[in-house]
Amino acid sequence: MRAASAILGKDLRLRLRDRSMLLFAVVIPLGLTVLFSFVFPDAEDIELTGTVVDEDGGEVASGFVDGVLPTLVDDGLLTLVDVDDAQDARRQVEDGDLDAAWIVPDGFSRAVTAGEAAELEVLVAAGAGIAGEVARGVADAFATELEQVTLAVAVDAQARGGAPSPQRIEALAAASQERSDVIAVEDLVTGGEDQLDNMSYLAAGMASFFVFFVVSTGVIGLLEERSQGTMPRLLAAPIPPGAIQLGKSLGSLIVGLASMTVLAFASSLLLGADWGHPLGVAMLIVAIVLAAMGVMALVGTFARTVEQAGNFQSIVAVVLGLFGGVFFPIPGEGWLIDVATAASPHGWFLQGLSELVASGEVAAAVPATLAILAVAVVTAVPAFVLQRRGLA
Amino acid sequence: MTQVLRCEGLRKAFGDLQAVEDISFTIDRGETYGLLGPNGAGKTTSISMVAGLLHPDAGEIVVAGERMHPRATTAKAAVGLVPQEVAIYPDLSARENLRFFGRLYALRQRQLDARVDAILEVIGLSDRGDDRAGEYSGGMKRRLNIGIGLLHEPQLLILDEPTVGVDPQSRNAILESVEALATDGLAVLYTTHYMEEAERLCDRIAIVDKGRVAAEGTRRELVATIGEQDLVRLDVAGDAPQAAVALRQLHDLGSVDVEDHAVVCLLHGAAQRLPTLLGAVAEVGVSVTGVEVREPDLEDVFLHLTGAALRD
Repeated sequence: MRAASAILGKDLRLRLRDRSMLLFAVVIPLGLTVLFSFVFPDAEDIELTGTVVDEDGGEVASGFVDGVLPTLVDDGLLTLVDVDDAQDARRQVEDGDLDAAWIVPDGFSRAVTAGEAAELEVLVAAGAGIAGEVARGVADAFATELEQVTLAVAVDAQARGGAPSPQRIEALAAASQERSDVIAVEDLVTGGEDQLDNMSYLAAGMASFFVFFVVSTGVIGLLEERSQGTMPRLLAAPIPPGAIQLGKSLGSLIVGLASMTVLAFASSLLLGADWGHPLGVAMLIVAIVLAAMGVMALVGTFARTVEQAGNFQSIVAVVLGLFGGVFFPIPGEGWLIDVATAASPHGWFLQGLSELVASGEVAAAVPATLAILAVAVVTAVPAFVLQRRGLA
Repeated sequence: MTQVLRCEGLRKAFGDLQAVEDISFTIDRGETYGLLGPNGAGKTTSISMVAGLLHPDAGEIVVAGERMHPRATTAKAAVGLVPQEVAIYPDLSARENLRFFGRLYALRQRQLDARVDAILEVIGLSDRGDDRAGEYSGGMKRRLNIGIGLLHEPQLLILDEPTVGVDPQSRNAILESVEALATDGLAVLYTTHYMEEAERLCDRIAIVDKGRVAAEGTRRELVATIGEQDLVRLDVAGDAPQAAVALRQLHDLGSVDVEDHAVVCLLHGAAQRLPTLLGAVAEVGVSVTGVEVREPDLEDVFLHLTGAALRD
C-alpha cells in the first residue's frame, strides 16, 4: 500500500499539473452542456409563433385548426397570429416574422374522406431551429392520425359491407379530434414524461461521456511509464507489481469520481440541473466511474503505444456514448441498436438518473447501478489479468 | 573481498531468439565489472535479469546473498538501476523525482530528505533541484538518472550504457562519478559498447557476443589472450579481401581480418616482418596507402575473438 500510495501521489501531482486533465474533467463537459442546451432546449422553453390558413373549411381541416392547434396554444407552446391569406403567411415566414405557417389547401377534407392523396403545407422560416422542427412534427403527427382514421374508415366499410355513411365518417373523425392530444410536443423533443429535464440530461450525459477520457489516464499511465522509460525503474524497485496497478487504478478512480462530483454540483448550482436523490446519484457515479475504468483498461491492453491507446479508447468512448444517448436519446429501433444501447454504461447511467428523478427513491437507481457494475466487472477482470501479464 | 553479485549459467530466450545463451560472472564489493559487447550481444537482457526485471529461463542470480527474481523485494532493495534510457518524470523536479523513487525504496522521511539533498549535491543539481526536469540539459538529465539509482545506497549499481548520446563533457563527468563510486566501495555492473570506457573504468571485463561470454578478465589479461603480438593495420587502395587472402598465406600470423578498406593482422615482431607483409600485398596488385603498428587494445581483442568490430 505504501508503494501504491506513492505512485498515486506522483500521478495525481502530474495530473494536476496537466491542464488538459482539468479541461476534460470539468471545463469541456460543462461548456458542452451549456452549448447543447441552446441547441436542444427543453419543451417548455420552446416558443413557436405561427399561423394557420384554412382554405378548405371542411371537417378534417377543422380537426387540425380547431382541434390540434388550440391544445398547443393552451400549453403555451404556440402563439397563433392572424394573417390575411396564404400569400401573407408565406411572406411573413420568409421575412422571419413567423416561425412557421400551416396552410390547409382547398379540397383537403374531401381528398382525405375520399381516400385520396391530400397535402398539408408547412412553411418554416430559415433559422427557426427547433421551433421549425416542432411545426413539422405537429403536421406529421396529424397526418399519421389521419392515416389511422382513413384506415379505420376502410376497415369499418368492409366490416359493414358497404360505403360508410357521412355520419359514420364524421363520428370517426370526431373520435380522431378527441384524441388529438396525443400530439405532444414534449414527446418530439425529450421523449416523454418522468425524464431528466434537458439540462440535467445533457449535464449527466456529458459527465458520463468525458469521465471515460478522464479515467483513461490510468491505463495510458502504464503505457506512459513504458514510453518514457520509467517502467523498468518501477519494476526494479522492491515493490510488488500489483502496487503499480493499484496506484494507477486508484488515480483513475479518484480523478473520475472528482470529475463526476464536480460536474454534478456545478451543473446543479450553475445550470439548475437536477440529478435526483444524492445517494442514488452517488451510487450511479461510483458505478459509471468503475465501468469507465474497466472498459478503458481493457481497450488499453490491446494498444502498444500511448497514441494507439488514446485512439482505441476514443473510438470506444464515442461509440458507447452515442449508443448510450449522451448527446441525444437513441430511438432504440432494431435489435442491433437495442443490444448496443443495453451494453452502454452511459445509457444505463442516464436511465438510472431518469428513474431516480421520476420516482424520487434511491431504490430506483439500483437496477441501472447493477447493470453498470456488471459492465465494470466484465471488462475489469480480463483487463487486470492482461495488465498483470504485461507487468510480469 | 565480499561478493555482491553472482550470476551463473544465465539463459534467456524471446521466442526463437536466444538473447542470452550462457553467461556467468561475479562482482565483488568495490569492483567495477564491465559487460563489453556490440548492440544485440545480450548485455541489456543480462542486466534486466540481474535487476529482477526478467526471470531467466535457466541459471541463478544472487545479489547480496539473496536470490534475485521479479518478486524478490530484499534482493531488489540492494540494487540500484540506471537504465540506458533516461528514466525520469520530466514534469517533476529533480527533488520530486528523487523523493518519489526514495519512497518506493521505503526511505523514511528524515532519511529521505537527507539522501535527496546529498544526491543533489553529488550530481551537481543542488541549485536546480526544484526546476522541472524536462527543462534540464541532456547531461543534467543523465546525472539525475544516475542519482536516482544511487538514492537508496544500493550495494550493487547497474549502469546500462549511461553515456549513450551524451556530449563529451557530460560523458567525462559521468565516468568520473562512476570511478568515485567504486572507490567508495560500491559494486558496479557497467555495460557499454565503448571500448575506451571499459578500459578506463572496469577492473574486470566480460566480452559478450551472441549471448555468451567470449572472454573475461582484466584488461591486461584480455589483451594477453592475443599473445604478446603486435597489431599491424594496412590501409589499402585496392581489393582488401584479396590482400587478406595473400597475407593469410604467410606463416605465424595470429589473425588477419578485413576492416573496411584496411587489413588488420596480429603477429610477433611486426617491425621486422613489415617488409614481408607489404611485399605480399603488392604481389596481388593492391597498393598500401597507410601503415600502423601498435599494441592491441580491447577492440582488437574483440575483433580477434569474434571476427567482428564492436561497433558492428
